[in-house]
Formats: sequence, C-alpha cells, structure tokens
Amino acid sequence: MYVRLFAAIWLLLCACLAVIAWGFQAPFAYDPVGPRAYPLLLLALMGAGAAWLVFKPGADTEKLTRQALLRSGLCILTLLAYALLFEPLGFVLSTALATFVLGLLFTGRALPCLISGVLMGVLLYALFDYALDVPLPLGVFEALVES
Amino acid sequence: METLHFLMQGFDVATRPTNLLVALFGAFVGTIVGLLPGLGPINGVALLLPLAFALGLPPETALILLAAVYLGCEYGGRISAILLNVPGDAAAVMTTLDGYPLARQGKAGIALSLSAVSSFTGSMIATCGVVLFAPILAKWAVAFGPAEYFVLMIFAIACLGGMVGDKPVKTLLSALIGLALATVGVDSTTGVYRFTFDSVSLSDGIQFVIVVIGFFSVSEILLMLENTHNGQKAVKASGRVLFNFKEYCFTFWTMIRSSVAGFVIGVLPGAGATIASAMTYMTEKRLAGDSGKFGDGDLRGVAAPESANNASACGSLIPMLTLGVPGSGTTAVMIGALTLYNITPGPLLFEQQPDVVWGLIASLFIGNIILLVMNIPLVGLFSRMLSVPNWVLVPAITVISMVGVYAVHSTTFDLVLMIGLGVFGYILRKLDFPLSAVILGFVLGEMMEDNLRRALSISAGELSILWGSPITLVLWSLVVLMLALPGIRWMRRRKQIKAQADASAA
Repeated sequence: MYVRLFAAIWLLLCACLAVIAWGFQAPFAYDPVGPRAYPLLLLALMGAGAAWLVFKPGADTEKLTRQALLRSGLCILTLLAYALLFEPLGFVLSTALATFVLGLLFTGRALPCLISGVLMGVLLYALFDYALDVPLPLGVFEALVES
Repeated sequence: METLHFLMQGFDVATRPTNLLVALFGAFVGTIVGLLPGLGPINGVALLLPLAFALGLPPETALILLAAVYLGCEYGGRISAILLNVPGDAAAVMTTLDGYPLARQGKAGIALSLSAVSSFTGSMIATCGVVLFAPILAKWAVAFGPAEYFVLMIFAIACLGGMVGDKPVKTLLSALIGLALATVGVDSTTGVYRFTFDSVSLSDGIQFVIVVIGFFSVSEILLMLENTHNGQKAVKASGRVLFNFKEYCFTFWTMIRSSVAGFVIGVLPGAGATIASAMTYMTEKRLAGDSGKFGDGDLRGVAAPESANNASACGSLIPMLTLGVPGSGTTAVMIGALTLYNITPGPLLFEQQPDVVWGLIASLFIGNIILLVMNIPLVGLFSRMLSVPNWVLVPAITVISMVGVYAVHSTTFDLVLMIGLGVFGYILRKLDFPLSAVILGFVLGEMMEDNLRRALSISAGELSILWGSPITLVLWSLVVLMLALPGIRWMRRRKQIKAQADASAA
C-alpha cells in the first residue's frame, strides 16, 4: 500500500518536474542535445518505473504504528532544530542541547544524557576546531572570546 | 616488470610516516564502524570523507584513509555477527548463520581468528588480482570513447538491477533517482540552470558529501530509532583463542575458492560484497553436501563469506581505478572523494597520477597486515565497543555528520538539505528501495550525461554512434543479459513451484 502511494506521488512529481524541465532552453545551441533532453529522458524512465510500481507494488512493507511515527517525527524535528540553531547558538551550545534531546529519545536517562551532551559539545569543539582545524561557529560565545 | 617497478614506487608512497599512520587510524576506525550494527562501510567512508577533505590531506593520503576504512569495515562486520548474531554490515549476514552457533558452542575464539585469517586471505588474493589485472584493463580502457563510456555506465546500472535480484524495478528506480539528483545545478555545457528553483545554494548542484551523509547517516539514525536497545550482551569469547593447523587445512580450499569468486564478483560493476558472500556460502554448502554442518556451526560457513566479502571489496577497486565506474556503493563514494580533489578516475589515472593509484594498491597490502595483526589480539577491545549504548552512539554520529557537512560550505542551508535528503532516504529504505543504487546513480549521473552529449556532438546528433563500435555492441548485449536475469530467475522459480505442485498432486 505504502509503495503504491509513494509511486503515485512520485509519478505526479515526475510530471511536475517534466513541465519545469520543458523550459530548459539554451539561448544558443552549443551541442546537438541541449540541456533539456537528458533530464526529460530520466523523468520519462522514472515515470515508467513509478507507473509499474503503482500497478505491481510487490510484497507489502510493514505497517507503521502511531508511536513509531511520533518518535521519528520528534527525531526529525530535533535534527531540524539542531541544523537551524547550529549557527545562531554556536556549536557548543546547540550540540549539547541536541545530544541531550537525542539521548532522551534513544531511551537514555536524563542525568547521564545531560552530562554526555555537555561533554560532547565541549570536547568535540576542541577536537574539531583546535586539533583538526575545522572551523565551527562560536555563536553566543563569540562576544566572550572577542572581549 | 613495469608493474613491479610501479608497485615499488607505490610502497614508497604508502610507507611514508603520515600514510602509515593514516592507514592505522583508518583500519581501527573502520573495524569499529564495521562492527557496530547498522553502520557499514558506506557510513564509515561517508563520515570520514569530509574530515579528510577539511584537513587538507593530499589525495593519495585521503584515498588510503578511505580504503583502510573500507577494508576495516569488512573485518569488523564479522565480530558482531559471530558474538551477537547481528550482522555489523550487510555483507556479514551470511557469517551469522554459522558464526553465532560456533560462538554458542564456546568456539567464538576459533571462529573469530579463523574469520580474520579468511578476511586476510580474501583481501590478499584480490589485491594481487588488482595488481595483475588493473593495468591491463586500464590499457584497454584507453580505447573507450564517450559512446563506449555511456554504454558502460548503463551496464553498471543494469548489473545492479540484475544482480540485486528480487526487486529489479525498485533498484532501477533508485538508480534513476540518483541520476536525476545529479542533474540539479547549472548545466556545464550551456550554462542553463536546472531544477535550482532560483536558490543560489543549489546553483552548483547538490554537494556530494551532503547526499552521502544525508542518505546514509541521517536515515540510519532514524532507522536506529526503531530498535533502541541499551547495549547488547555479547557471547563471552571463551576457550581457545586461536584455531589449530587442522582447522586451517580444513578450510584452506574454501578460502581460496571463495576469494577468487568474490574477486570476480567484485570486479563486475554494481555487484558488491553482499552478493559475493551470499553466493559463495551457498556454493560451499552445496559442495559440502551432507558431510557439512552448515547452519549449526561449520567453520567453512564462516570462512567462505568472510573471504568473499573482503575479496570483492578489493576487487571493486578495479572498475573504480581503471574505468572510473564504481563497483559498489562504497567505491562510488570514493570516486566522489576523488572528484572533490579534481581527479577524474579512469584509464588515464594510471599515467597521470601513478602515486595515487599505486600508493593506494600498496596501502591495501599494508592495511591488510595491520588489520590482521590488530584483529586477533584486540578482539576483546572491539567486542567491548558493542556495549556502547545507543544514547551515546547516536548523538555522536549526529554531531560528526553535522560537522562533516558544515565543513564543506559553512551554510545552514546545507545542514537542512542534508536532513531533508536523510528523511527522503529513510522513506526509501522503509519502502525497500536500495540506497546504494541511488548513490551509484548520483556518482554516475554527471559523467553519463557528459559522455552522452559528447558522443552525440562527435556524430552531430546521429544516435547510431551509441551502437556503432564492437565494444558498444558487446556491452549492449551484456546489458540485455543482465536485464533478462530477473525474468529468467522468475521463470525458473515458477517452473519449480509448478513441478512441486505436480509432484504433490501425483
């Protein structure tokens, strides 16, 4: 069922993308193919594959439970928040927060998660920024360092 | 003789102190990544690739690192397979069948040491194969024009569809998704923006690192959410730590046979270690007949898949180095790594960058010895890694993924894109689409379009150039054969079912 649903959405998406791809035209012809033919070919093949799956989705995949859906939703939200706060809050703080929440999601107890979160934020910052020379955002600590 | 000369030069490169250190580090990290359930070689390589790039390692050192991780994963996968009955990576599924029963019988030490030697044998035979065949193939490959390359890539994708087996349509669709993702960004020949939706961040395409980390790390995190165990109890490795001479002789021919078979399967583009280990296990089981105890702890059942998956991992470097076409998901990532350094893998690599190629090959020999030496005494340390609970492990993977992606461009957009791709990858995985096909498609995408357009430019738009030469004709017939394989298998199964039904009716 899920496969069929996915294939149907994908088919629709292919159609939309094909409309967009139709507009790819070079102001000047550099080669006989042009920028339009190859994406359209791919979309046509993908559409054919998706259409096949709509009619013959094959063995069904396992059913989703409400609880599993909720948990993965929470996990995705945490990750998104982490990504968005990465620069404004800086690496140390955002990492400590994200690892704490993720730790809880993966059935860790509160206090150990908090400790591991703070440790990871500080230690990994030291490792990457100083030892490995990967520049990371300081965020809220920026003022502290500059003053 | 020329080959030997180059090989010595390669050893010069590989034995430089930094490169040795990097190989040691890669082997260690690779073993750990390999033994952690769920994390396989692609994850390991994907996590370390951005770091290698951000550290500014020279290309040969970066490749040595990635190859060491790749090999290390194939060694590591067996530890959790034997002690936990959980395969550390997909290629170790077959090892659980006999490895775990052996561990339950108190022969864990024997199984572990013997499988380490099997892995070593497999890699060594396959590396020798690389030394022998890669230069020859590279010489042939110079004759490949754009049209031949285009058909070769179609062959690589068809191989995936034909070999992965039970779901050819899903596999092909995955590969197409990868190919389509590669078309995002500005078109290199005409300067037309494609699928960028007016976003500046997408104008030079989706960065390779983001795709790999999104598809493999982020989706893995979501997948791990389903089984939140807090560290697992492993079978205590008791009894003899080393196998004896008799046991070695008993499995000797199995190792040799499986290594050669694994190597050949690895060389085929698209077919990877998982298929190699499954095929050799089945073959050994059939060869042993009734005398074997396959499934209840036969030593050959551990030796066969382990030598095969290592051999195929090394073998898959051949199409990568000589043709620039990946032989497995992991080598696809390595090709992406090379292109980050502006090195195009392919036949000319052997002439233009002998240091990179031969340094890599020589480091395979060295890496293998390191891994063998590391794996037998340190098995206790590695198995203790299995008790790291997920609530520490998963956040650590998350942070490293974030840093890896952030190191490329330092934009929030990339981080969000990575998570978006990760969620998409998670959905694909839940629906049983193979992700390694997506990554293969993504790596091949740009090359495929370039070669197609170049070929058609040569012939001024005449399509017949795509099947004009003998090489293309041979490749096309192989493509047809590969695509017909699932159909043939399906028919055979139908016939069997029918025969069974007839037999029971009679």
